[in-house]
Amino acid sequence: MPAVCFYFQVHQPYRLRRYSYFDVEKATTYFDESLNRSIMEGIAARCYLPTNERLLRMLREHQGAFKVAFSISGTAIEQMRQYAPEALESFRALAATGHVEFLGETYYHSLASLYDREEFESQVLLHAECVEREFGQRPRVFRNTELIYNDEIGQRAGELGFRGVLAEGVSDVLGWRSPHFVYRAPGATTKMLLRSFKLSDDIAFRFTHRDDSNSQFLTPDRFASSLHALSGNADVVGLFLDYETFGEHHRRESGILDFLEALPRHTLIQREWKFLTPSEAIRLFSPVSELSFPRTTSWADTERDVSAWGGNMMQRAALSEVYDTQKLYAGCDLRAPDMAVALETWRRLQTSDHFYYMSTKGDGDGVVHRHFSPFESPYDAFVAYMNVLKDINARCRRMVAERERRLTANE
Amino acid sequence: MDFPTHAPYNPNTRVAVPYIRSPMKILMLGWEYPPHIAGGLGTACQGLTSALSAQGVDIHFVVPQLFGREEARHMVLSDASRRVSPGGQQPHDVGPAPLPIPTTRIPAFLSPYWNPRQFKEAVAAVTHREVASLSPALRNDPVARALIDGEVYGIDIVSALDDTETSSSAESDPQERYSKDLFEEVERFTLQVSSQFAGETFDVIHAHDWMTFPAAVALSERTGKPLIVHVHSLEQDRSGLFAHPPISEIERFGTRHADKVIAVSYFTKRSIERHHGVSPSRVLVVHNGVYPREMVTDYREKKTWPEHVVAFVGRVTFQKGPEYFVEMASKVIPHLPDVLFVIAGTGDMLPSIIGRVKELGLTKNFMFPGFVQGEELEEIFSVADIYVMPSVSEPFGITALEAVSFDTPIIISKQSGVAEVIEHALKVDFWDVDRMADLIINALVHPELRHDLVRMAREEIKQLHWDAAALKTIDIYQDVSPRAAV
Repeated sequence: MPAVCFYFQVHQPYRLRRYSYFDVEKATTYFDESLNRSIMEGIAARCYLPTNERLLRMLREHQGAFKVAFSISGTAIEQMRQYAPEALESFRALAATGHVEFLGETYYHSLASLYDREEFESQVLLHAECVEREFGQRPRVFRNTELIYNDEIGQRAGELGFRGVLAEGVSDVLGWRSPHFVYRAPGATTKMLLRSFKLSDDIAFRFTHRDDSNSQFLTPDRFASSLHALSGNADVVGLFLDYETFGEHHRRESGILDFLEALPRHTLIQREWKFLTPSEAIRLFSPVSELSFPRTTSWADTERDVSAWGGNMMQRAALSEVYDTQKLYAGCDLRAPDMAVALETWRRLQTSDHFYYMSTKGDGDGVVHRHFSPFESPYDAFVAYMNVLKDINARCRRMVAERERRLTANE
Repeated sequence: MDFPTHAPYNPNTRVAVPYIRSPMKILMLGWEYPPHIAGGLGTACQGLTSALSAQGVDIHFVVPQLFGREEARHMVLSDASRRVSPGGQQPHDVGPAPLPIPTTRIPAFLSPYWNPRQFKEAVAAVTHREVASLSPALRNDPVARALIDGEVYGIDIVSALDDTETSSSAESDPQERYSKDLFEEVERFTLQVSSQFAGETFDVIHAHDWMTFPAAVALSERTGKPLIVHVHSLEQDRSGLFAHPPISEIERFGTRHADKVIAVSYFTKRSIERHHGVSPSRVLVVHNGVYPREMVTDYREKKTWPEHVVAFVGRVTFQKGPEYFVEMASKVIPHLPDVLFVIAGTGDMLPSIIGRVKELGLTKNFMFPGFVQGEELEEIFSVADIYVMPSVSEPFGITALEAVSFDTPIIISKQSGVAEVIEHALKVDFWDVDRMADLIINALVHPELRHDLVRMAREEIKQLHWDAAALKTIDIYQDVSPRAAV
């Protein structure tokens, strides 16, 4: 009884504007509101709204035989609420069908899992509360930012109450094993669902490829038969994709939405195949074995590691500065009540995209990094980011100095 | 295995043996050659001819004047009256070089970067020994300096001119032998080249920049040989609003008469098409290259430099945007008071630039070493934390590649050809001094930024070798001259 498990990632960062060194201690508008608005409006119009509409139709048509899962970052939910409320509404409509699961992640789509344990937990809980408020369900399965995963993250997801966690089915970690089974994190009860990277990337990257006769290579029936070919040798096939695949990366004219709509029908022709949400999949299938990750993996770039965000010296410098809060905030307590705005800003600055824009990778991966970056170059991205940190630091230091001056004056 | 059908197959070596044909012969007209250069043109000619000759191209390179220290063993280098460079002497073993032919045959008195006014000034100063009367810009000009110091073949030009006894020319007044007008000088070079080289055997004429265009066109018309003009810069770039119409006119004349025009960048290609109305299909882009550097003396070890050095290397003229460099510095210094800004070069704007620095009260943050070359230039490139090229209009900008070859990160104006070939550089609009200052402060404060820039740019310039430029150039030779073969 094999199953397909669809999970779509929805995320939008708060992009920084080109904050100059000469804005330091003068301007506090760090984020490019008009850019963030126009991107959100565009994505909502091209992807979220049309694809959600299609999914809603499919969920109704298949009456529970078709299911999907979403992970929507907190920053995406906020920006939808602000700039495209009808998109947020359409996600709520999907939630109301009862056939859609919402997964947990860090609210700010951050790299806190690698740098700040306490902050990581805060952001995961913040996100869980937000999802519960927006969509009426508490996440039970965790997916970390960009599927960043290692044994420790698996264990901590379990400690935070998640029953399952998602990871990339990385070849060198799996070795001879198949990504199409449920595994267990070592020394924990957390179950693990893996991304079937070959089949997922067929949709994400190879959808528009043409075969020798110049006709579309990927058709619903062909894709369904490659699923069916796994019968007897698979429990669950994880198709984990950026939601923007539908309508944004592949425009609607490419036929991607029709592909999506036809896929369940072609898959369900073989009666043993099912669609399950991640929670259902981990409930239904027992882990075939423990699976230990000797390195930190992700779904990004060719390396499937964390080099997309920490591969060069600028990225590492920016990460170590933003996570050195003692130094950055000049000893101010970020969790003090009067620091709410500062805390919110600090968290937005942790969003992985900022570091992604600073990547200097070349070739195919570099093209993808540049495609998403609002900056002209990785150097511009770094400079804007460091200038913002400089402003935060300067303001905090002045605040501390003033506080001390007042204290001594009172004495 | 596929072998070219024209190549005989040798079963013993299993290696294709090409037909041996006579090499392609190119008559190249230039106006400066290292080490006596005032700009990037000489460097580019050296790089291109070296790579071409490595590909088997036979080059005869003609310049208006030789100084005697040019090293060009890969080709024949001569002046317009066919005096061949003795070549290859290093400064330490130079005595007065032997003079191959009589002094009467004074070569054309040309420098690529002089305008007609400066030309007149230089002629007057040289003939009347009034060196002190020269404007500071011209006094530091390497070509003027060499002429005045008598470095042309080790002769004191001034006394040579005075000594009518040595002259076998019909002209007895020394001033007469120097045309008083720049364009007359171009005309003289033209006549000399077309009479001296019309009988020569060559396949293609290849002329570098405007002063050689009339000579090249005349020779092409006289011999029927195809002409390629190579545009390294346009008068429009050099002088902007103050462009001299007659110079632009010569550029138009050359680019229109040529069989093909080589532009050093797409930036320049567009200018040629726009300003001179040349059809896009006749203008081909061959980007300049750079030779990778094997070993760099560690000048940093000398500790004579301050912690942060920001360098400008180039002619101090309108085209290079030195005033934007100074304005940028005035924005950086309040935040980083110890940075040293170096302006290495000379030009008509130098006095006003020095004046502006004084006016801003920034004299202690500035250094003006004048025109530098050789080890002195290497030292500046090496110790600089960042190299700045704020050019207003830069057809290519070869010094930016040289800076990278010294592992120095670069910040270049978007109005430059080199921005087309280097991705890993900081890029700004030349007028955006705030942005320039922002990037420079960050580059100085964060070594990580400099490190990543250099690491990536170093990889990029490996792809920008002169061999690639030579291969493209050979394709163009073969296109205009079907007979030509390598």
